[in-house]
Amino acid sequence: MLHEVEVLRRFAPPRLGRFVVPALLLLLILFPFVVNAAFYVHLMILVFLFAYLGQAWNILGGYTGQVSLGHAVFLGLGAYTSTLLFEWYGVSPWIGMIAGGLVAMAFGLIIGLPTFRLQGHYFAIATIAVGESVLALFNSWDLVGGASGIYRTIVPESWWAMQFHSSKDPYYFIALGLVVTIFTVTRLIERSRLGYYFRAIKEDPDAAKSLGIDTTRYKLYSMMISAFFTGLAGTLYVQYLLFIDPEMVFLLMLSIQICLVPVLGGVGTLWGPAVGAAILIPISEFTRGYLGGSAAGLDLVVYGALIMLVAAYKPAGIMGLLRKAS
Amino acid sequence: MLRRILVLSLLFLLGISLAACGGTDQAGGDEGAGTPETIKVGAIYPVTGALAATGTDLTNGVKLAVEIVNGEFPDLNLPLAAEAGLPNLGGAKVEIVWGDHQGSAEKGMSEAERLITQEKVVALLGCYNSAVTATASQVAERNGVPFLNPESTSPTLTQRGFKWFFRTTPHDDTFAKNFFQFLEDLKATKGIEVESLAIVYENTLWGSDVGKFEKKYAEEFGYKVVEDLAYPAKGTDVTSEVQRLKAANPQVVMQASYVSDAILYMRTYKEFGFLPEAILAMDAGFVAAEYLKTLGEDGYYILSREVWALDLAESKPIIAEVNDMFRERFGYNMDGNSARAFTGTLVLLDAINRAGSTDPEAIRQALLETDIPADQLIMPWEGVKFDPETQQNTKGKGIIVQVQDGKYLTVWPWELASADLIWPMPGWDER
Repeated sequence: MLHEVEVLRRFAPPRLGRFVVPALLLLLILFPFVVNAAFYVHLMILVFLFAYLGQAWNILGGYTGQVSLGHAVFLGLGAYTSTLLFEWYGVSPWIGMIAGGLVAMAFGLIIGLPTFRLQGHYFAIATIAVGESVLALFNSWDLVGGASGIYRTIVPESWWAMQFHSSKDPYYFIALGLVVTIFTVTRLIERSRLGYYFRAIKEDPDAAKSLGIDTTRYKLYSMMISAFFTGLAGTLYVQYLLFIDPEMVFLLMLSIQICLVPVLGGVGTLWGPAVGAAILIPISEFTRGYLGGSAAGLDLVVYGALIMLVAAYKPAGIMGLLRKAS
Repeated sequence: MLRRILVLSLLFLLGISLAACGGTDQAGGDEGAGTPETIKVGAIYPVTGALAATGTDLTNGVKLAVEIVNGEFPDLNLPLAAEAGLPNLGGAKVEIVWGDHQGSAEKGMSEAERLITQEKVVALLGCYNSAVTATASQVAERNGVPFLNPESTSPTLTQRGFKWFFRTTPHDDTFAKNFFQFLEDLKATKGIEVESLAIVYENTLWGSDVGKFEKKYAEEFGYKVVEDLAYPAKGTDVTSEVQRLKAANPQVVMQASYVSDAILYMRTYKEFGFLPEAILAMDAGFVAAEYLKTLGEDGYYILSREVWALDLAESKPIIAEVNDMFRERFGYNMDGNSARAFTGTLVLLDAINRAGSTDPEAIRQALLETDIPADQLIMPWEGVKFDPETQQNTKGKGIIVQVQDGKYLTVWPWELASADLIWPMPGWDER
């Protein structure tokens, strides 16, 4: 009897996995056709965006254990790159998206080289400093709009220009596409030699080094992958908001939000960022909408309380809770 | 574990879909009910977060305006004050549905989305921060809902060619222009001729923008700029700058500075005995509390532009009446922000009333036909009338205040002045 249960446990998850993911995907694809309310499509876009950003952060912060509090910089660089390419040279945001990812990746490499000498908290503090410096730089850089930002030229809607005015569904599907991409990539990394190296670095950098892993090199790889994908999302973010200024994309608060998503869901797990985003974003939106009018600030209290609870009782996040239960 | 994930995600999607259906059902029930009893208007402001204090000033302005519209105040010469509610809509009452953007452009967008699609507001007000106004008004534009902005001053906002976006406050470009209108007025009514100007500004975005506008208008109005001086705001010594100014010997200095550099400049001016006939400041550092506290009499007699001042009540009694009501309810005096939010709300509600319906196109037409005279406003403006192209209020105007006896007193426009202009500035040792 017990043996049978053991056997079932061992074999059930992969089979279920083969079924769960396509089913979930199908549901998500059908969602905008079933639910015809713009606000909920908007909400889902935000959930996707933060699940995506959380996962991109997770590659560096979760799997490799290098906690970054400056990830908004990569998002912002990606957003600015595609915006400027479009506004100055008429380059399609799709190309701008890749270019933005590459710029973010290059920047990740540049800041990774010196900061990876630092360990633990010092690395996190260094990333905050980088974020604040970039904010100050963009605020006073007239060429890129300075503090007043760039109002995007509004053109007739098209996939080429990645602007849609009559419906949010295209943004929804672009966001979904990004989410599918990053989860696939993370899955592949998780199963590859790269993933094992990342986790080895996280568990014990010295032990990893003694086993012959070039830790600095692999931390840089992790940073570049994470920065590249964070940069990609910048394009979607700015195409969706059609406006950009430094306060919007380089603020420390945004970096913290990106990091909170996987922290709540479960750091270093594949599904953690998805679970975190699916809980945090609706909480933030609904409490602000429905409680904000009568009890201003309550949404922030709820938000803060949730994070404290997780930090105090479930440092492994909600995924830790699930794993224990099953 | 995966089974739990599946269950969790299904629950999540189910929850969202149910909430969504609930939302749409409710909306369906509201339609076709004839003349509604309450008119819902959305207002998006920074109620929490770093700007919460300003947000409270703004929302209090909106609240007072709505109370005046909904109640009967026959003694007040303001639009919609005399009758209860909106008379052309069967006396319907106005209800404000609040949105909180916490200073974030993305949240402003969310709130606009929610207010329009979930709460079905007929029009939107907001959002103070120019960046948030930019994204929130895009949602209104996409959905074809009128958006009235009472208090964002980035000139670009009304240059976007939007069909549904209206702005009542003058913007930064207009404020620069006001300086030159003031100089023209000086010539025409007081016989004071100014020929040479120096333009001094800190070199980050705000200062350079102001400098750019001032140079543009100096050329347009035919004034000679003898010194064009951009300086780094964080410097600790401005000796060489002041020496350059002294050598150029302008009659008037137009200056855009933050507070520490404003103080530094005034001290250095005194030290070098540089005394132009007037210093025309673009508010900021020159109206900050520390300015007079630190400089005392050395900081007197400068002129600064402002959007509003309480002493305007001396020439416009309506301001005193409204401010008394405001103080009674909220315990402090109105300021430029609450006064502008108050005025914007009245302008929007007046248009909804004249439209006689909640149809967005009818409200838009009514807004375009808005023509409120100066005496029905608590602002120092010549009225409210929107430019048919940009939908910017063409009659908006700033005021100029002068520091006299430690107070900022309105000195221009002449008809709104509570004190006489002191020109030229008395010498440094005659104070």
